[in-house]
Amino acid sequence: MAQEAEMPTGRAVVASEHKHPVNVLFHDEATLGERVADKVASGIGSWWFLGIQSVFIAVWITLNVEAVVNHWDPYPFILLNLAFTIQAAYTGPVLLLSGNRQAQKDRLRLEHTAEVAEESERATIAILEEIERNTEATLKVLEHLQKRRAAKA
Amino acid sequence: MAQDTSEAPPGIESARSADILHRLRRKHRDPEADHKHPVNVTHYETASLGERLADQLSAAMGSWPFIIVQSCLLVVWVYLNVWAVFIAHWDAYPFILLNLVLSFQATYAGPIVLLAGNRQSQKDRITLEHAADESDKGEVQINRILVEIRKNTALTLQILNELEAENA
Repeated sequence: MAQEAEMPTGRAVVASEHKHPVNVLFHDEATLGERVADKVASGIGSWWFLGIQSVFIAVWITLNVEAVVNHWDPYPFILLNLAFTIQAAYTGPVLLLSGNRQAQKDRLRLEHTAEVAEESERATIAILEEIERNTEATLKVLEHLQKRRAAKA
Repeated sequence: MAQDTSEAPPGIESARSADILHRLRRKHRDPEADHKHPVNVTHYETASLGERLADQLSAAMGSWPFIIVQSCLLVVWVYLNVWAVFIAHWDAYPFILLNLVLSFQATYAGPIVLLAGNRQSQKDRITLEHAADESDKGEVQINRILVEIRKNTALTLQILNELEAENA
């Protein structure tokens, strides 16, 4: 809470790269399938992918229009259409895969928030009780002083 | 009066975060797990039939089994229509029917992605509303602490006055 809490050691967080428990669970302890899903999503959702795809399309169309090589997919590019469809048929599920991962993380984050909130509520109540005890003690000190003055007078 | 108010022993913080990590790890991959956070409870445990269906649909389509099965079907389809000798080629090169089937899939994938996205943004909205409630609650608590400290300060000042009068 107050100070930086040391990460627990042991089999729980071997070779942990993250500090936040949610990141530890989500990234450092991801299964192979989850790791690959993250890699694929970040691969497809990158400027590199978009750039390479655009170059690929331009080359395909150019080669099938200009007389350089044998036209394997002449106008209206039916095979290219199939290639697009296959790409779209994969990006949908990959998009959902990555969305599911994020939803899983969101769920985990809220659970963590709830745990931490419980702790901090306990701490706040402890602080309040401690101050109340202090006030009581101070009040008693005051009463003692007043009694002493009354006795002197 | 001299009560023992020793602080929590050092290390208790990390023990607590270990507990938290342990509890979170158990819930990590189980959406059916009991939830602690009210927003998670609302989102998962009191979801309507349509919402549950949307979650299950996006979970099923956004999974490795779906992608692997789709890949196998694709390969089998192409194989049967190019090289198979024991059955008639129902969709010869350039696989126009396969194209239709995959377009069909993509046509549904789009709305399902949005369905899942809408669920998430609904959750985000509830999360923020809950955070606002919590912050109100926190403010009330802080105010109570402040009032208590002010009371204490007033008493301490009175004591000071007493002592000054005594020493005057």
